[in-house]
Order: sequence, then structure tokens, then C-alpha cells
Amino acid sequence: MDQVFEGTPKAEIRLEGRKAIRGDVSNDWGSKLQWQISRDGKVIATVAARIESAYEHPEKTPGKYEIVLQLFKYINYKKDAKGEYTESKFIDISNKVGYTV
Amino acid sequence: MLHVGNEKVPVCSGVDRRSFLQAGAAGMAGLSLPAMSRLEAAGFVDTSKAKIKNCITLFLVGSPGHLDTWDMKPEAPDDIRGKFKPIHTNVPGIDICEHFPKMAKMMDKVALIRSLHHKTGASHENGQRWMMTGHDFTADNPKPFAGSVISRLYGPKSNLPASIILPVKIGNTGTSTPHGQKAAFAGTAHEPFFLGADPARSDFQVANLKAPAGQTEFRINARRNLLTELDELQRRTETKASKQRETAYSRAFNLLTSPETKRAFDLDDEPDKLRDRYGRNTLGQSCLMARRMIERGSRFVTVNHFDTVFNIACWDMHANGSSLNNTYLDYENILCPQFDLAFTALVEDLEQRGLLDETVIAVVSEFGRTPKLNARGGRDHYPSAWTNFICGGNIKGGQVVGSTDKIGAAPHDRPIQPPQLLASIYHGMGINLETTMMPGPGSRPIHLIEAEPIRELF
Repeated sequence: MDQVFEGTPKAEIRLEGRKAIRGDVSNDWGSKLQWQISRDGKVIATVAARIESAYEHPEKTPGKYEIVLQLFKYINYKKDAKGEYTESKFIDISNKVGYTV
Repeated sequence: MLHVGNEKVPVCSGVDRRSFLQAGAAGMAGLSLPAMSRLEAAGFVDTSKAKIKNCITLFLVGSPGHLDTWDMKPEAPDDIRGKFKPIHTNVPGIDICEHFPKMAKMMDKVALIRSLHHKTGASHENGQRWMMTGHDFTADNPKPFAGSVISRLYGPKSNLPASIILPVKIGNTGTSTPHGQKAAFAGTAHEPFFLGADPARSDFQVANLKAPAGQTEFRINARRNLLTELDELQRRTETKASKQRETAYSRAFNLLTSPETKRAFDLDDEPDKLRDRYGRNTLGQSCLMARRMIERGSRFVTVNHFDTVFNIACWDMHANGSSLNNTYLDYENILCPQFDLAFTALVEDLEQRGLLDETVIAVVSEFGRTPKLNARGGRDHYPSAWTNFICGGNIKGGQVVGSTDKIGAAPHDRPIQPPQLLASIYHGMGINLETTMMPGPGSRPIHLIEAEPIRELF
């Protein structure tokens, strides 16, 4: 019996200075939760978000930063020859917040 | 010598003939309260001392690698220590995998047993039989599931079955040999009740509570009345088997017709926030269901985390590129996070309801996984050493029992075998393992389990 994930997980995030703060995840699938940090449109880091509800990215390289909360969406276990998932993936579950350095 | 019927059978110390026969008769019927009192009077169980009244077993079918979870070896070579890193817990000196951050915050409640091992074979089913019954055996000599033993000894507390297995029975895990989740000689009246459906699904319905097509409640009650009359006739020629069938029928009717029972299975009763805390997945919602079952009178609830190891993301991390292609990615993104959330939610929830003191949670698996990574970066079956754990009841948490060598290949000290873990649960439930016996094959009295409890746990 493979798992079927239903509903749409959602969370609100906000900024306090450069610190991103998240609320609870509704319809939480319980898979890996992470912050995704981008600078000038390019992903520069992903950080585990399950245990702490706030995160401040330490980098100060100039640029436009954007943060979003992501949850892993399991569709199936299939992987390609390199061992990467072919269908399961992280999806955005929050609004995006941003700041400029 | 003890006489059962006309047969003389040997008996171990401490059980006199009269008390055994009384207990045996009580067990046959599924215990009523007076029968329970007789058992207590006979010294078989002492519920006054039993801190653990219930047990929830989370059975991690497929088996997590001990080196990647609860027995990490960060000093070992790359091809042994694996990809994950250890983190500190709230108990100094006990580190676990970084992907169990919530569990790390409640390690003071948990007793890790790091020296489990068995020697009868490396199939999933060998391990399932050991962990579910305390024995390995063949299909023609089956041993009873621990939940069936508890059902037999203590009987039901409510309309709910004493022993329930969630969400579904174990199916194909490699060989067509027993999984150890049947009542065997404990009797058909003590077969576990299988939920038979995924409580995480929006269309969830308890498969085993659905009346057969065309059967209304009226017709079901009519059938019950007819059976009651037949039972009355049959009483004159009653046999052990017919008595057990009667109990099983009664239980089935109670389940099918009681609104209270049906409501027990309705997770919509729970706040959304709590359902989210457990995780909206099969394991999480099964753990929540387990709490509801214990709260409403079940004694022994088992959650099978997966019913197969093939073509799904599960703990069986062979990374074989085919139907057993679980890898570190699955551990990191799905399995560990889901487990961390569900297990810690269950502990917290039971504690908040005042049920943790009387409920033990045992997290078990079939075996460990090979210390050395295979050519594809996976780990294969390894029954020579692994870690399981236990918490709740009067279990002393914040400790590690036993250890493995530097590469997790074999127990280094305090080797523990699976029956000792079950013996510990039985012991915690107030059962005197030296004197309590149950009718075995051919009604010959036998001990529940041939093992000593793990004394450090109490």
C-alpha cells in the first residue's frame, strides 16, 4: 500500500529584519520541510525548517534575496540512473518574502 | 505433573493444577472480569503492580539501518558511517541521527536497546516472527502474536478488540512464510483486528467494519439473534473451538453495530491541528488512531509501518536500482521526518492525556542493515546487530542498553535477543513470567515466552 498524499499543505511566512518566521503548516504531510533561499533568482541554499520556526540566512553578499518554505511531495519512490527522484520533489507551500542586501 | 483433561503434562514451578485449570478455562472464553480476578488470585498476573496497562508497537517493516539512525558511528570509515550526521539529544552522551530532531528533544523518555540480534536468518519474515511473537517458527508450528497473548490473558476492556493492527496486515515482504501476526494457539477469539484501510485518506472507511453488501443493521441483528439461539442449543455439546467461535462472532457483531465503536475510528473527531502534528500520512494518522484505540479500551495496538518492501519508499534501503530502490534520499525526505513527527506526537499526546504512564510504546524492526555500504550506496539485511527502543509506562528513559562494536557489526556488550524485549513488555504489564502459562498446542501448558525481561528498563 503506497502512500497517497491529499490536500494542500500551506504556511504563512513573514520577515522580521532579515529573519524569516513561519507559522504552523496546515495539512502537513510530515515529510521534509525546508527553507529555500535564492539570491537574484538563483537558489543558493536549502535549510531544514522542521525544528525551528525562524531562520536568518547568514550570507551578506549583495543582491536581492527571496525565501520560501518548501515541503517534500512524495509521488513515488522512482529514481533515475543518478539516483535522483524522477517525480517526487519539493514544492513551495508558503508565500515568498524578500529583502535586499 | 499437571493434568489437562486426561493428559499428564509437565509444568514449571509455581503453578498448581487447580489454578492453571481455572486460568485456562477463563482464557478459553476471553476473560470476563471474574475470570480476570481468578487469574489475579492465582498469581498469574498482578495488575496492581502493572504500571503498563497498554502497549503500542510501531513496527518499522523493512528495517532502518542502525548506523543511519540510532547507533551512528561517526568515527568509522566513509563506507561504514554513511551519509548522515549525529546530533546531540537532551541526554548528554546519547546522539542520534540529525533527521530525528524532535525525538532528540525527548530522549530522556526513551530507552535505546543497541545490542539486539538474532541468528535464524536474514529474511524480513524471520525478523517479523521474532519481534511479533518472541519466537522464530515454521508455518506448521505457529506461535501466537504478542497482541493475541495479551488479549488472551487480559481480555477486552470495551467493545473494541483487545488487540488491533493498523493500518493493514503485512503482505509480500519476500518469502511466503508467516509474519507472526496471528493468534495461533492463543485461539481464534484472540486474532488481532486489522483495520484494513489507510486512515490518512479522505475516503477512509474501516474495511472490516463495513457490513457485507445487502446487509442492513436490521438483518445483522436478526442474524445475531438466530446465532444466539443456535448457541443455546450448541451449549450442550460445547467444545473449545465452538466457544472460541462464539466469542469471535460476538466481537464481530459488537464491532459492526455499535455506534460508539464506529465513532472510535473516526479521525474527523480530532482537531486539524493535532492531525497535522502527527503528520497527514499513513504512519502519522495510524499513530493517532492507535492513541484513540488505547483511549477507548484496546490494550495492544500495532502499527505496521508498511505492508510490503517492494516498489514503495520504505526502510528497506537496498538501493538496488529496481523494485528495492530505497536510498538515503528516502530516509532524509520521507521516512525519518514522518517517523520523527509521528512518534513524538504520539508520546506528547499520550502524556498530555495522562496515558503515557500506563502505555508503553515499543519501536521495533526486523533487523539492522549491513555495516558496510553496498556498491550502490545502500545497505542490506543484517540480523547480527540493530537498535530498537521503548518508552512510556514505567520504562526508565534516557538510557542506552547494550552497545555494538566500532562498526556496528556485532553486540559489544549486553547482547539482547528479541524475546527479551517482549518479555519486558509482558513483565511491565504485570505478568509473572515464571508462573503464567497458557494452553499451547494440544492444550499443553506453556510459558508465554522463554526469556528474562531486560532488567535495566525498570
